[in-house]
Amino acid sequence: TSGDVEDEVQSTAKSAEDRKAAAALSKLDARGDDEAAPAREVDQEAVKNAMNALGGGADKKETKKVKVDAADVNLLVEELELPKAKATELLKAHDGDAVKAMRAYIQPDF
Amino acid sequence: MDIRLLRPSDIPLIQHANLENLPENYFLKYYLYHALSWPQLSFVAVDVSRPPKTPYDYPKIVGYVLAKMEEDPADGVQHGHITSLSVMRTHRRLGIAEKLMRQSQLAMVETFGAHYVSLHVRVSNKAAIHLYRDTLGFKTEKTESKYYADGEDAYCMKLDLGFIREQLRAESDDEDEEKKAAE
Amino acid sequence: MPQTLSTREANLFRTVIRHYEDKQYKRGLKAAEQILKRNPKHGDTMSMKALILNAQGKTEEAFALAKEALTIDMKSYICWHVYGILYRTNKNFDEAIKAYRFALKLEPDSHQIQRDLAVLQVQMRDYQGYIQSRFVMLKARPQLRQNWTALAIAYHLDGNLEQAENILTTYEKSVTTKPLRSDLENSEALLYKNSIIAERGDIQRALEHLETDCKHCLDRLAVMELRARYLAQLGRKEEAAKAYRALLDRNSEHPDYYKGLIDALDIPADDEVSLKAVYDEYAAKNPRCDAARRLPLDFLSGDRFRTAAKAYLTLMFDKGVPSTFANLKHLYSDAFKKDYLPVLAEEYLGEHSGRSSAAGQANGDSSKGEGAALYFLAQHYNYYMSRDLSRAMEFVDKAIELDPQNVDFHMTKARIFKHHGDIAKAAEAMDHARSLDTKDRYINSKAAKYQLRNNENEKALATMGLFTRAETVGGPLVDLTDMQCIWFLTEDGEAWQRRGNLGLALKRYHTVFNIFDIWQEDQFDFHSFSLRKGQIRAYIDLLRWEDRLREHPFYFRAALDAVNLYLSMHDKPQNGANGAGDVLANGEDAAEKKKAAKKARKEAQKAEREAAEKAAKRDPNKAGAQKSKEGEETKKKDDDPDGAKLAATTDPLGDAMKFLWPLLQFSPKNVDGQIAGFEVFLRRNKYLLALRCLKAALAINQEHPRVLEQATRLRKVLANAQDSLAPKLKEVIQSELAGVPGE
Repeated sequence: TSGDVEDEVQSTAKSAEDRKAAAALSKLDARGDDEAAPAREVDQEAVKNAMNALGGGADKKETKKVKVDAADVNLLVEELELPKAKATELLKAHDGDAVKAMRAYIQPDF
Repeated sequence: MDIRLLRPSDIPLIQHANLENLPENYFLKYYLYHALSWPQLSFVAVDVSRPPKTPYDYPKIVGYVLAKMEEDPADGVQHGHITSLSVMRTHRRLGIAEKLMRQSQLAMVETFGAHYVSLHVRVSNKAAIHLYRDTLGFKTEKTESKYYADGEDAYCMKLDLGFIREQLRAESDDEDEEKKAAE
Repeated sequence: MPQTLSTREANLFRTVIRHYEDKQYKRGLKAAEQILKRNPKHGDTMSMKALILNAQGKTEEAFALAKEALTIDMKSYICWHVYGILYRTNKNFDEAIKAYRFALKLEPDSHQIQRDLAVLQVQMRDYQGYIQSRFVMLKARPQLRQNWTALAIAYHLDGNLEQAENILTTYEKSVTTKPLRSDLENSEALLYKNSIIAERGDIQRALEHLETDCKHCLDRLAVMELRARYLAQLGRKEEAAKAYRALLDRNSEHPDYYKGLIDALDIPADDEVSLKAVYDEYAAKNPRCDAARRLPLDFLSGDRFRTAAKAYLTLMFDKGVPSTFANLKHLYSDAFKKDYLPVLAEEYLGEHSGRSSAAGQANGDSSKGEGAALYFLAQHYNYYMSRDLSRAMEFVDKAIELDPQNVDFHMTKARIFKHHGDIAKAAEAMDHARSLDTKDRYINSKAAKYQLRNNENEKALATMGLFTRAETVGGPLVDLTDMQCIWFLTEDGEAWQRRGNLGLALKRYHTVFNIFDIWQEDQFDFHSFSLRKGQIRAYIDLLRWEDRLREHPFYFRAALDAVNLYLSMHDKPQNGANGAGDVLANGEDAAEKKKAAKKARKEAQKAEREAAEKAAKRDPNKAGAQKSKEGEETKKKDDDPDGAKLAATTDPLGDAMKFLWPLLQFSPKNVDGQIAGFEVFLRRNKYLLALRCLKAALAINQEHPRVLEQATRLRKVLANAQDSLAPKLKEVIQSELAGVPGE
């Protein structure tokens, strides 16, 4: 981990300046600090209501159901060098039409 | 030339300026540590007159001050500390270093309630000592022997920021009076 | 089967964890061994031992042990958690996330695992996953403000600004005690919320929120800047003008403030007199202000420009400011200004030269002014838009005559030699400049750079070694690499490439690539650190910047060098590996080259060794320092220090891809990247991707000769390849090629 590199620097650092830098960096990933963070009084009831209102966290994004041909996925993986998941996504975004998907992909996007 | 607050995206070129100018160098992460702990305290001077070469040019940094608050002050007094200050040789005599320092000192008081600011400087660095002592009013606190990696001593210098606190108090009094007059 | 530990050993196990967290690896290992002596198959202890081994750099051993621990105790969340951490520290983030998820399934209430997972999710920009994790964490501890802030950040990053704001407000409403004015976390959270309101586009509400809720925020500068901006956006010009004036009183060297003030005052762009008056006011108020005096030169014309430029140049020359030319050269796009500035400098010279001895007594040092004017003229004639190198040389020599020890003058002389094309002389002159001030690292760096341009890698490294830290094991190159000195690594690589040492060239480019990996990894600790510190706006800035890290010109240059080098290696295979034909056809030449490369490699090693020795000599403590490191984890040894393995690749085009993808993704508008991409893809028969680069290049510059040549070449290649193409591919190419020139 990054901490170990700093450990090493610390042990060999010669100047006070370097030691200071190394010490600061080695403390960056300190664990457990947030447990010690000061908690302010909060109105438990209000929090509970708020939490309920929030629901379950992330909202599920609706994804269209599009059938995708495995041969097309392979073609995109081969020709565009995309990971399989990305190739599938690209095809889906173009209604499973490989020609449309490839044409869209090679347009300048700036 | 433009003097403004440091942004994270400036850091590669700040690190570059530091490596070009000074023997004390740091990992990029150490700059990040400053920028993310005390983002109000560090400033840069940017050369704005360079014609851009590509759409991805980054502002060229010709000077910077990297500053922090002392995390566990030994004397228990809130104070700032200058980690690194540098101006490109090509951009000297415009008072950039002084202007960077003044911006940082003001923010130290406003945002973090600093009472003083401290720094280390090589005992042989006449130009820097002149700036700190004569222009900015720092006092030499003590000499730290062999502070630098090459064995050189450092002066530990301090500047009381009481004058800025005074100034801010006077300003807020003025504001209050203005408000009263408006009522 | 998991084994249960005795009370004594269970306590011991806890100390293992503590030692690990305190980075006391040797002690941790000792305690773990004690447990394992009695319980050799205790999965959790084996895992902890693996974790410590990993921290000591023994990655393979660590993975083997952690895997063994898992097979023994599949149901242990600790084993899974450790497995995830191992993947995490070895940068296999996807596998790490999977392992954490397993661990969390076994121990759903573990705060630590949940947090580790959350950090990885935001590092990987899995915002949906991050929202879920932060939601769980908030539910577990709603009394902590940072848990609310973190959930808001998660929504914000995912683009759901409304929900982000909503969460921050909910927390504010549920707090029963009023925060103190000095509460920095509160102050920053309010400003963070304000930035979200503004980002939603509701400027009116952002201003109201700023003026009420953020009135006492501790970041005064931010409050003042935001207020000025909002007022301007809302068209409340009078107040905006006042706000910008307050900012200018704080910092009169920030051009944006002048612009804001002028916009607010509604001064038309061609009303030079009124515009100038604005700047004059601040020039009068701040005798040492540069911006107020220099910026009007941008918009003034004719006589008004003449007067202002004369005043400015006189002031700068009198003070002997060396950056005067650098600060004005952008005016050269205007022909009138380009012609007039040197006239002014000559005038100044006419008034000041020769009188330096007489006036010098009264005026302190007035040869300063003469030198500055000569220096300005030397730079003027050295600049590409106004170049006349013999005149440049004339002026710089006169300046040097005046002040023979002036580093800046000699530096410019070196630049003039460079523009003459005499790289060797340039390097020599720069080194002379260096010798005039050996305590200044800036001139030292420039001397090294010029030595590299002159292909003197060894000399340049020795020059750099005058300022690198003497105690670094391995000498200056290791120090420069550790300190992420990208400019040196890139220039060094380019010089090696010119000298035909492909191994060392590739080595340097890969080192730069790795530094960017480190910089990306650097944000990792800040995901939790910034929540603790409460500086949220700075944290968001960091993430946004890291997202486009590799668009930096530092990356682009080294990566493009690497891609082009790999291309040439493909086209002209160097040695044995895949170049048998080449050797046969051109045996002598190839053998010669090989010999030269070997010689260069030896020289480089020698130079490094010497530099290290020299450094060691300067620092008598170094040998001792090295010894005291015994037992500590040492840095992983580089098994390919001179890049021989890199150069021996049989697939240079494949190797180029790692550099190429980020070029195309992050700097798509840079035509050189697209050109290089085309060459790689065409050679790899990836026609669509070659076409993609070509289309992008055309969109950037329709007339670029290289791009047009590439278009013709692609048409030719495709005409021959027609029959081998898949039908759908053919269809795409046919329709897309229609818009490409070169038929």
